[in-house]
Amino acid sequence: MNFVKNLTRGIIRENPIFVLLLGMCPTLAVTTSAVNGMGMGLATTAVLIGSNVVISAMRKIIPDNIRIPAFVVIIASFVTIIGMLMKAYLPTLDAALGIFIPLIVVNCIILARAEAFAFSNSVVDSFADGLGMGLGFTLALILLGSIREILGAGSLFGFTLFGPAYEPVLLMILPPGAFLTLGLMIGFINWKSKKKA
Amino acid sequence: MANKVQIDWKEVIRLGLILLAISAVAACLLALTNYVTAGTIEQLNSDINTAARQEVLSKATDFEQVPGDKLAFIGTEIGLENPEELVEAYVGTSGGNTVGYTVKTAPSNGYSGPIEMLTGISTDGVVQAIAILKQNETPGLGVKATLPEFKDQFNGKSALEEVKVVKSKPAADSNEIQAITGATITSKAVADGVNLANQVYQYQTQSK
Repeated sequence: MNFVKNLTRGIIRENPIFVLLLGMCPTLAVTTSAVNGMGMGLATTAVLIGSNVVISAMRKIIPDNIRIPAFVVIIASFVTIIGMLMKAYLPTLDAALGIFIPLIVVNCIILARAEAFAFSNSVVDSFADGLGMGLGFTLALILLGSIREILGAGSLFGFTLFGPAYEPVLLMILPPGAFLTLGLMIGFINWKSKKKA
Repeated sequence: MANKVQIDWKEVIRLGLILLAISAVAACLLALTNYVTAGTIEQLNSDINTAARQEVLSKATDFEQVPGDKLAFIGTEIGLENPEELVEAYVGTSGGNTVGYTVKTAPSNGYSGPIEMLTGISTDGVVQAIAILKQNETPGLGVKATLPEFKDQFNGKSALEEVKVVKSKPAADSNEIQAITGATITSKAVADGVNLANQVYQYQTQSK
């Protein structure tokens, strides 16, 4: 019961991008296409689950006063180890997701979930929270990436959607397109949830 | 009496030691992973480079690296301003005969940093093919430089004269290639990389 609740919370009600506004930097930078969004999302999910589980397991031995530096050390080591293992044993996956791995270290969503959830909850609950938040992050990134790719390149997941007559709006895959799309989407979600209330 | 802040030195040292222990364990795990994976990663990288050399100079069966100091000397001789742009070069042979060269260049004037690329040139002075190895160009724009539509334009161009970038469709038999729409900077950088390889080739053949 609790497990399911922890899992689904991150997907819609507390979506890290649209509601918590966490991890904006990689969101804006990598969502130039749906595939990129999915890659960043999945890589982040893996790290988020791992760091949540490790920090939850160690919550009894890390003193409160030094939890933040301890989190930083644990997360950075964890990400670096995943990066090295992927490079060595999963080179095809690394070719697709490798460029996102170093970016994850600076993604504040990892630190935020460690601080807000994993440090005060059990290992199983933290696993569910990591998975749910990761999936919510991934869905949001795929959505943003899809919108920008359709408008800015006339394709979706690399498949051309329109005929050659379609003139793509290049602006959408350049940085301003990221701010425009994200801003309008957050506005839309706020408007929707206000109407409901 | 005002409260005087008392520093509990015992506590400070205890926390410091715990943090030291966590960092030490993390460092050991990192060192161990690095020790286990470093060899495999290097092997994979060299495999990728070998495959790329084979791709841009398919006639060759064996490749022999040009010594680094010799390449650096060629770089200064042809007036290269940034020595980092000339990465490495190989002589391609087949049955003991030299059939061409592959030159790895990294033109630094890409849109977002250097573009690492490989150019294959046959001994009769023709660019065989190019391969883009590492780039950070704008997705959807500059990244198109890695697609055959753009990079295959270099195939068959003369390595004896400069390859020029034009915006409209180039005339047949000219040493010109068409820039990617919206990514002229990237197109020019790639052409610069090819031209640098061509200069190395020209120096190499003239000095013989």
